[in-house]
Amino acid sequence: MNIGELLSQYGGKYAIALLTTWKLTAVSFALALALGVLITAMRVSPIRPLRIIAGLYVQIFRNIPGVALLIFLVYALPYLNLIFSYQTCVLTATTLIPASFCSEYLMSGMNMIDKGQIEAARALGMRFTHVLRKVVIPQALRNSVLPLTNLLVATMLTTSLASQVPMNPMELTGLVSHINTHSVGGIMAFVISAALYCATAILIGQIGSLIDRKVRIVR
Amino acid sequence: MKNEKNNIRDFLYDEPGPKAKRRIIFWTIVSLVPIAFLLYRMTVRFQENGQLAPQYWSFFLKYTTWRFIGQGLLGTLEAALTAGAIAFVIGFLLMRGRISRSGILRKISAALIEFTRGVPTLLFIYFFFLVVPQTGLKLPSLLRIALPVAISAVGVVAEVFRSGVNAVPKGQTEAALSLGMRNRHVFYKVIFPQAFRYVIPSLISEIVIVVKDTTFAYVINFPDLMQNAKVLISNYDAMLPVYLIVSVIYILINFLINQLARAVR
Repeated sequence: MNIGELLSQYGGKYAIALLTTWKLTAVSFALALALGVLITAMRVSPIRPLRIIAGLYVQIFRNIPGVALLIFLVYALPYLNLIFSYQTCVLTATTLIPASFCSEYLMSGMNMIDKGQIEAARALGMRFTHVLRKVVIPQALRNSVLPLTNLLVATMLTTSLASQVPMNPMELTGLVSHINTHSVGGIMAFVISAALYCATAILIGQIGSLIDRKVRIVR
Repeated sequence: MKNEKNNIRDFLYDEPGPKAKRRIIFWTIVSLVPIAFLLYRMTVRFQENGQLAPQYWSFFLKYTTWRFIGQGLLGTLEAALTAGAIAFVIGFLLMRGRISRSGILRKISAALIEFTRGVPTLLFIYFFFLVVPQTGLKLPSLLRIALPVAISAVGVVAEVFRSGVNAVPKGQTEAALSLGMRNRHVFYKVIFPQAFRYVIPSLISEIVIVVKDTTFAYVINFPDLMQNAKVLISNYDAMLPVYLIVSVIYILINFLINQLARAVR
């Protein structure tokens, strides 16, 4: 198929697929960010069981392959009578994994903070949770805009896992395999999806460095 | 930082006094309750659904099971090493292009790097699985998994190399040039050996990504750990235990690789 035929037949589906990829990416990333902050707070807390659990979480989810997790959620959990929709399983996988990386980036963002600031905050009588909320986490976030931008791109790439389960609507990777199993899409079917992914990645990168320039703490 | 306080926690709070100690103990116990409850619920769930029955777990005591898992691991290793080697070579070439003096070469390399970093591995796998055969080219199954995995890694490898090259002080190039060395010589004898040493930890971490990506091998029926797991499942009708054990194996392998990267750093 040439690009004209492909677009006239599948153009609408590509648009929906792109939006689906975007939606999956945005939702997963927002959840991952929230979970990542929580995990990070647990990792630096004075309460040992929380530290251990959070540390374990990070080691598990930064090291597990995405498909292994997804297949586990989709096909193994029903044996425990835990049945979730495909969409929930995909979102769970594409949230849990980036959250662990998010926490790693926040930890290194935290270590960049001038320790004097924390001491100053404590000298002012701020409590641990207060120091975290008002001084440490905001700066850790501001320090890690670029890694988090890369994480957003990585999250987008992870959402391609959705192609491994029957999902409706399909996202960009699922659509390519769909087109190629139903008709000979040829190289163009692949190129369009790849181009849409790349364009999104570049857009994210641009916005990320824009935000980074705005919020980075210059020392 | 070695001898000073180097953990952020040392700054967030002091050595607790008697009152804080009591509070910490209190919250420790409080936090243990939901954790214990969760563990308990999980065990009950396994029990209730019969997943603790010996038939689902006893085959892990058999030698043949582990030999089969071992074979799968070898497949994973083979795919990962092949992909890693390809990514290493192409990544190096892309880095050379990215820092070359020819503007056009720089642009092409930069575009290729962006492209490979912005496209999911699965899409490359479908490309080699669905699109390449349409051209009549028949690749061995090892390459059908190793090539896409390698391609999706080359962009990162190239950028890692480049960051290493940039980390070598400029004075070294100038010194080498003033000694009368040629550009090629300067790069291969002076710059790259040092750059390479800088980036060894990052390259090791990249192996984790490659290992993870090889799990897609089941898409093309390449006998890696994931694919062999599927065979085990159909042999013993034990979906949950097998996927659980296999996931743990992957986590352990990648954990060890990450530890190695940290140790080298």
